[in-house]
Amino acid sequence: MLTLYHWEPNANSGKPMLTLAEKGVEYQSHYLDLLKFDQHQPEYLKINPDGTIPAMVHGDRVLTESTPMMEYVDEAFDGPPLRPKDPKERWRMRWWMRFFDSYFAPSLSMIGWSVFVGPAARQRDPAELKAAIERIPLESRRIAWRKALFNEFTEAELAESKRRVWYATGILEEHLSQHRWIAGDTWSLGDINGFNLGYALPLSQPDRCNDEKTPHIMEWLRKIYERPATKATWAKGRTQMAARVTFLERKAH
Amino acid sequence: MLELHHWEPNTFFLKPLIALKEKEAPFTSRYFDATKFEQFAAGFPRNTESSLHLEREGPLLVHDGTIISSSFFMLEYIAEALPGADLNPGQAWEHYRARAWGQFLGLQLGALVSALGCAKYLAPVLKKKDHEALKSHIAVIEPQERRAAWSAVIDGSYDDKTLATMHERLKFPVKRVEEALAKTPWLTGPAYSIADIDAFAMLNVLPDLAPDVVSDKATPRVLDFLKRMRERRAVKDALALSKTGKPQEAFVPGAEPSRWG
Repeated sequence: MLTLYHWEPNANSGKPMLTLAEKGVEYQSHYLDLLKFDQHQPEYLKINPDGTIPAMVHGDRVLTESTPMMEYVDEAFDGPPLRPKDPKERWRMRWWMRFFDSYFAPSLSMIGWSVFVGPAARQRDPAELKAAIERIPLESRRIAWRKALFNEFTEAELAESKRRVWYATGILEEHLSQHRWIAGDTWSLGDINGFNLGYALPLSQPDRCNDEKTPHIMEWLRKIYERPATKATWAKGRTQMAARVTFLERKAH
Repeated sequence: MLELHHWEPNTFFLKPLIALKEKEAPFTSRYFDATKFEQFAAGFPRNTESSLHLEREGPLLVHDGTIISSSFFMLEYIAEALPGADLNPGQAWEHYRARAWGQFLGLQLGALVSALGCAKYLAPVLKKKDHEALKSHIAVIEPQERRAAWSAVIDGSYDDKTLATMHERLKFPVKRVEEALAKTPWLTGPAYSIADIDAFAMLNVLPDLAPDVVSDKATPRVLDFLKRMRERRAVKDALALSKTGKPQEAFVPGAEPSRWG
């Protein structure tokens, strides 16, 4: 029995969703609405006391770290291998996943939270929001939610996030101009991770990520978008955020 | 051909040294003094990943021409690519646990240990050096995140309030380790693994840096874990590679704390 607790096919939630789809593994899906703080409700905290999503329950095992979760899926289930056999390519896959997770994503999400998550959540009653923040188990997540909900990002923080997104976009373009996939010659979890991070990059950063300036990123994103597993996974999205993926449809010339 | 470029056997630099000793893998030790900026000298191994890796000044493993950086992934590489003792035993679940620990401690503990160690040991050393010469060394460091990390050590960014906050934040990851060791002798279960090597390299400095956080009273199991680790032949051999005789005082800027606060 495999159960995945997740939000939209996007960022951390999308990583195990797309991995499971590529692997051909059936699972019971539990959709949690991040903006309604479903992940901090008592019922979910029994599954993951940290109140973070995604979480995967496989038998009596609970997995809560999304990138290690992807490797678990590849290792624990039959299906096409999603990690290179060559240890050097495997190392490169992991290096890039950490770069995505810890450098690229936090900057990109700071921008996203300031323009999307924060304003959307602020439609709600401020007292209710404050109480919701107090229920968040992890201090680091309380700080992050407080910043997003009450728009406490400074101009300098947002400017630095933009600089990092643009810088990382350039680094990724250079990498993909030299390698077919993130790990090298082999399609892998690194590409699944990167797609979840960057599928909307051409929309959110149109001046920096486009066919003219980053042709290799654009082709890489389109190739991943065209995979049946990607189409099936993004079809599970319930919001406009996930629907943005259709931007990657190749235009008829 | 296997070469490890490393400084003193402490924190990030200690991890691959222990793993290579556990494997009994023949390798060439390339020792450099990270406080003299030798890692930025011409001829030092360099590629995109080694310049940008998030531990900044950490070790580099060069295997048949390929540069391997980022210390936890280096441990996984050593476990998978080299013959010898099995350093990542078990199946998918144990491997997940090792990776989850590597990620959690790397993010939660790595940045704090580096910053607290730099404030206590590196900042006073740098203070004795010619300030202008130091600044000119730092001014040419790329990428700018590495430059900023060095600047923070000399420009007073580590004020008492910041350090107190970091000190307080040590408690959360250390508590998680203490709780895990109450259930199993090693972090991923009954068997020793790369997760233990990874954790040891960061926890080993805490009885000195934060004696109130890691102590007989607060964390008896962590202290027992450190003792068991220090008794291993591979750990003793790795620590014996110190040239200063005080590896536990060797710190350089490491991973940056979360920018989310």
